[in-house]
Amino acid sequence: MTLNSNDRNADQRSYFERFSHYYLLVPGVTWMALFLIVPLLMMVYVSFWTQTTFAIHSELTTKSWVTFFSSETYFGALLRTIRIWLTVLFFTFLLGYPVALYIGLFVRSKTIQTVLLVACVIPFWTSFLIRVLAWRPMLGKEGAVNLVLQKLGIISQPIEVLLFTELAVVIGMVQIYVVFMVGPIAFMLSRIDGSLLEAARDIGAKPFTTFRKIIFPLSLPGVTVGAIFVSVMVLGEFATASALSGRKVNMLGNIIVTQVGSLKWAFAAVIGVVLTIVIAIIITALLRLVNLREEL
Amino acid sequence: MLELVDFGKSYDGVNAIQNVSFNVNEDEYLTLLGPSGSGKTVLLRLIAGLDRPDTGRIILNGQDITTMPTHLRGIGFVQQKYALFPHMSVRQNISFGLINHHSSPIRDEKKVNYLCDEMLDIVGLSGLADRGVGQISGGQKQRVSLARTLVTKPKLCLLDEPLGALDANLRERMTVELRDIRTTLGVSFIHVTGNEDEALGMGDRMIVLDKGCVIQIEEPNKLFAMPASVKVARHVNSYNILSGSTENNSFVFADYKLPMAAYAKSAAFYVVGIDKVTIEKVGSVKRKAKDITSFEAKFVDAEFMGSRVVYQFELADGQIFEVERHLSRETPVDYKAGEVRCLSWKAADVLAFASDGGLINENAKIRGTV
Repeated sequence: MTLNSNDRNADQRSYFERFSHYYLLVPGVTWMALFLIVPLLMMVYVSFWTQTTFAIHSELTTKSWVTFFSSETYFGALLRTIRIWLTVLFFTFLLGYPVALYIGLFVRSKTIQTVLLVACVIPFWTSFLIRVLAWRPMLGKEGAVNLVLQKLGIISQPIEVLLFTELAVVIGMVQIYVVFMVGPIAFMLSRIDGSLLEAARDIGAKPFTTFRKIIFPLSLPGVTVGAIFVSVMVLGEFATASALSGRKVNMLGNIIVTQVGSLKWAFAAVIGVVLTIVIAIIITALLRLVNLREEL
Repeated sequence: MLELVDFGKSYDGVNAIQNVSFNVNEDEYLTLLGPSGSGKTVLLRLIAGLDRPDTGRIILNGQDITTMPTHLRGIGFVQQKYALFPHMSVRQNISFGLINHHSSPIRDEKKVNYLCDEMLDIVGLSGLADRGVGQISGGQKQRVSLARTLVTKPKLCLLDEPLGALDANLRERMTVELRDIRTTLGVSFIHVTGNEDEALGMGDRMIVLDKGCVIQIEEPNKLFAMPASVKVARHVNSYNILSGSTENNSFVFADYKLPMAAYAKSAAFYVVGIDKVTIEKVGSVKRKAKDITSFEAKFVDAEFMGSRVVYQFELADGQIFEVERHLSRETPVDYKAGEVRCLSWKAADVLAFASDGGLINENAKIRGTV
């Protein structure tokens, strides 16, 4: 063996070693390219195609975009989607945070923490659609809620606003998605060292001050992650909205479903692009709010 | 100023501390020595109000604060793990107690900053105020933690092994600085430690805690010179403790027979300081000399500790007998393992303890019951 060939061998090995780990990415990148990047680009492209009643041509036009923003139905759906998203986000936080606070901070045994978190997930043992539809016999005019309230004499007439309204959609979504808020927050809270809270108490802070200045700020990354989960799922929702509103409340997702159903691909693509942009903006904003890289 | 009366606390039926009573005086540095598991931290947590005692009362400046919540007590507790708020800067950490005080928060930002800077100066951290607490070293975290507590002007400050996590160099510097800081502020400190050098060196008085009980409270020099019991002598970690029995003015132990003073007729423990012993060649000590006691032992090992050397000798029954020699007085000698030497000490340096562990006093008085 000459020195030269030794060198070359070493080089070859190091070349392989230097780049071999990129091969690990091949399956993932292929998958993402084929089923995410290409369809996304395709969606943007198709949104500029010409749509006639029964056919679609690839001549480029902005007609579908103009229709979306000038139509009260469609632009209204965007506003409604954002409104429902904000309402659901608010209530999942309002209901989820105390639960997470209890599980993450006041339950000190890891076993019981796990048991309680699993208990939160029990509804997920049934299918999504069943969970949604189960709200109908609860909220209907002769549903469980109305019956119980009438029997107790709290109301004399059934509350009709409970089902087939936006309220029903919000109630359903909050129940379904609240657990995605509880999980991440409980996780962050359980990581807070108890000695921090003792230290705060010891230097004279009232319990509520300790919550406001120590516990809550330290749980914010969990709130952000929870909010991202809930946002992504609610913004793309259509099943809950259609099942609990009797198709009266149309979110962007519902419109996509209808448009695809009537073969209006170009228009469905426009809404798809709008929805993607909205979600992207919201997630970016949430990530700006809390620096997850630093906190996690 | 602070008075503990008959404190007791048990966890799951096991007594963590029991019958603990002592006073803390104004402007005093009190050290509390105890091995791990002796209930040191439990005791501090009870004083700070982070746990409730099962029995006993705690009185601060004449007021019974046994059931008072922590944040109203005004007792500072510097935790072993610093417990700095990770999402705040050094300044925010230190000013937390000022801004968020339960009854008299300071709202004036200038005043907060002034007090904060003043405290940073005292603990020697000027210029680090705007660092995040993740960007400073362990020793600096220790100081921030101390400053955060002291800036609230506590009536009493509890320190849980404050030097435990520091390296030797820093430890020595902090030893001096802690005393200086305390003198500057005039706040009483209770400093808990498992290190006997720290407890002896830093305290105005020291408490020795053993299995949850206070076994001696005394000024360190007096405690060191005359431990009240065998247990204290053990905790101080500077004594050779031989256990045996006394017959006819001599202490019988393994194969050895050592002369024992007449007053200690019932001594069960023969205790001699490791720094009181001299190492000589076999035969060079006159065994008949009246005030000198000696025996022969086999050299095992030596531990060089910078300014001193600790030699270990094995006695006939296998027990290790330690001898500490200061290098300021002599140069270290290399002995061969297994070499037999004659160890000698003055009879006056011997302490005798009764079978219940109590010190037998020279005034023919026996402490405790026999």
